[in-house]
Amino acid sequence: MMPVSALTDHRPLLGHHPVGASTGFLVEDRGDWPRLAERAAALSPFTAELAALSETELPGLASYLAHEATLPFRYLSVHAPSKDLRMSESKLVDTLARLPAIVDAIVVHPDVIDDVTEYRKLGARLVLENMDSRKGGGRTADELVPYFAALPAAGLCLDVAHARDVDPTLAGAHDLLDRYAVRLRHLHVSSLDGDGHHVPLTEADEAAFGPVLRRCRDVPWILEAPLAP
Amino acid sequence: MSAAPSALERLAAHGADGFPHLLAARARTDVELDRLRTRFAAVDRDPDVAVVLFGSWGRRELTEHSDDDWLLLVDGPGRAALRPDVEAVRALLGAGARKPGTQGAFGTVSASRDLVEHIGLEEDDNRNLTQRMLLMLESVAVVGEDVHRACWEQVLDRYLAEGRSDHRPPRFFLNDVMRYWRTIAVDFAGKHRDDERKWGLRNAKLRTSRKMLFAGGLVPILRCHALRGADVRPFLAAQLALPATDRVADAFLSAGQLDAGVRCLGAYDRWIGILGDVAMREELAGLDRASAPDSRTFVEVRRLAAEFQNGLLALLFETSLAPAVREYAIF
Repeated sequence: MMPVSALTDHRPLLGHHPVGASTGFLVEDRGDWPRLAERAAALSPFTAELAALSETELPGLASYLAHEATLPFRYLSVHAPSKDLRMSESKLVDTLARLPAIVDAIVVHPDVIDDVTEYRKLGARLVLENMDSRKGGGRTADELVPYFAALPAAGLCLDVAHARDVDPTLAGAHDLLDRYAVRLRHLHVSSLDGDGHHVPLTEADEAAFGPVLRRCRDVPWILEAPLAP
Repeated sequence: MSAAPSALERLAAHGADGFPHLLAARARTDVELDRLRTRFAAVDRDPDVAVVLFGSWGRRELTEHSDDDWLLLVDGPGRAALRPDVEAVRALLGAGARKPGTQGAFGTVSASRDLVEHIGLEEDDNRNLTQRMLLMLESVAVVGEDVHRACWEQVLDRYLAEGRSDHRPPRFFLNDVMRYWRTIAVDFAGKHRDDERKWGLRNAKLRTSRKMLFAGGLVPILRCHALRGADVRPFLAAQLALPATDRVADAFLSAGQLDAGVRCLGAYDRWIGILGDVAMREELAGLDRASAPDSRTFVEVRRLAAEFQNGLLALLFETSLAPAVREYAIF
């Protein structure tokens, strides 16, 4: 007799918990952190990613988190800036390190790292995200080796769409899971458009990502674009 | 001929890092148990008495700083004169910092009749419940292995006497295991309402070792939903004879959730590493509720505990166990 889970596995999103939202796609409220957190909690009070993708957004987020102790999330990620980087790397990392203990993970793009040793200050809260094919590094398990060698406590955020962009067979995604299984902290889930922007997960992509998603049943999945209606 | 690899070792083979702290703790437990058995060999013993160890001994997770939670277990009703007596055991076990826990459940005598006949109602007090649950879920005999096994089987059969149907977990046993976990959690809050001493270490253990104790009972019982009634007893007897980490590892292997299993047991492995580190253990023991969030060690334990729990939740809710969890684990 076939177990029920096998009957529902073609739609992995339906059976998973927790699935939460990145505030990165809530563009109309950008910079309004109380409103963004409220909207993320309405989508899922269990997990969320507060995305300060531009450096100009980080001071406001840091200030908001320092004074807000009542967020409901069981797993809260902050996406560190990857654009408009102006401050010194040391100052940027110090700002991230001072984020309060309610932040479980701080996602950093490896391609913006100059001095990898600076990031040791983030300890086990540092989570490196695998990059898409437009970036010059941090895209594959091999390219992440030197980062993890220098940052032994760091975790991995597997961006499934990035991994598929680099290797459409998804063998690269499986390689990341094989080599960094115990580092995996959460997933980024979406589809990508032709310019590499995150767009709502299509049913076709959800089915294609299924074998990868099924290997990640125990970690939060963060949607980087709203689900298609 | 070498022994077949344990479920924990088979799961470890799927990860890049293995479970070094857990496997080292198992080896340490085996060595120390052999040493103890040698010391007890010269002690006179009645044929219906066993000396039994619980907690990290039973989970085979012994570290240098583990307590010696022991009981003199009598098969049948209790009596006044026993060989060995409590003092004779105390001379060989639980010296200094290894003293049994302070709640009075250990370092004393327990009779199997009480454990078997007083399940539920007034006489099943906290002490009786604790002794029975730990006997079933994490115990090992130092001497009197046959007595230990006989008492263990009497309790199991009492649980199963309430009914053993095809494709139904034994609900009486399930309810008692769930009741025990909730009791531990409620008692933790009660214990620390007015006394914050050792809050950090106890909270860390509640999130990890105590949860492993619970999962090590819950998961095999729920897995009975896939069995015919006649297969339930042999399955539970075989499972509960294993350390809790093997039962959980076996469930992940059986469900085909290798990645989640590697992360779940990997996080638990790192917790055992922390528990074996003198400085980190002392740091945890010195924390109260207010100071804990500022401790890097506590924050790391909390993170590992979340990974451990997330793995267990994936096993329970995102595999073929999920329908049984929904049907039996809430009401």
